[in-house]
Amino acid sequence: MSALSFFEWLTTSPWANAMNGPEWAFPVVQSLHFMGFALSIGTIAIVDLRLLGWGMRRQTAAELAADLERWTLLGFAVMLITGPLMFSADAVRYHYNPSFQFKMTCLMVALLFHYTIHRRATRSEVSPIAAKLAGGVSLALWTAVVAGGRMIAFV
Amino acid sequence: MSIVSTLEWIESTDLSTTIREGALPYPIIGGIHLLGIALFGGMLLATDLRLLGWAMQRRRVSDLVEQFRPWKQLGFVLVVASGLLLAWAEPQKLYRSPAFWVKMALFALVGVHALVFRAGVYENPARLDAAVTGQAKLAAAISLLLWAGLIVSGRLIAFDS
Repeated sequence: MSALSFFEWLTTSPWANAMNGPEWAFPVVQSLHFMGFALSIGTIAIVDLRLLGWGMRRQTAAELAADLERWTLLGFAVMLITGPLMFSADAVRYHYNPSFQFKMTCLMVALLFHYTIHRRATRSEVSPIAAKLAGGVSLALWTAVVAGGRMIAFV
Repeated sequence: MSIVSTLEWIESTDLSTTIREGALPYPIIGGIHLLGIALFGGMLLATDLRLLGWAMQRRRVSDLVEQFRPWKQLGFVLVVASGLLLAWAEPQKLYRSPAFWVKMALFALVGVHALVFRAGVYENPARLDAAVTGQAKLAAAISLLLWAGLIVSGRLIAFDS
């Protein structure tokens, strides 16, 4: 089964029908998606600002990351449920949308970075330059994910 | 000058036309609006969850409120400034959108929330370090609801036509 035929099947799935049913379904799911990314990217930004040394200096990055980890994950969970729901509603069109492709590439890199290099930077003693680099790259990646997401509706 | 002619004048300005008709300005400003939501909203969520006793229990309330303040202010400015620009691009559509007026009413309630709870909760957070008062928990719960309402009503604007 090719990816395309899978996406075609997705658009006929029960949850896609639900998304394409009542007028309020899509905006409500999209609102949950926004709350999810505010929770995950907002909490990541708090840690990033600390890594960069721009704020939150009364705690270590390790303390902040430990405090917020589960909330970041909850935000990811909300995003990764609501996102595919919206995708299903019009999977084939999204599949061909360059902004969508850009966003998904950035998302994969951002998630991979978050649970590897970023996690290491918040867990062990790293040099200030490495910490700044990790914080800066993380902020840039998540900014790209949000920007790419916004462009989906316009490209 | 009537409201409608004022809105028509706004839409005839170069700024409004540029945002509305250019390929890039609208999504870029919309993207800034979303990033502001993530920055402001993330810290608002963290503060509210701390006050409700659900997160960051090892941190003092005053430490969080004081350290978040400049970034929340930056996020707020980003959201409001980009929101004003988006509104400037299509005021007639917004004027006719029920969701927009719900959003503005909620925004007014954010102001009321600030007036009501500033003195008791946000201005002197050190008082909450030992124990979070019932008033502060109420402030946090209402803040969460208002924020969620602003996001939902904001999103519904795009679907009002």
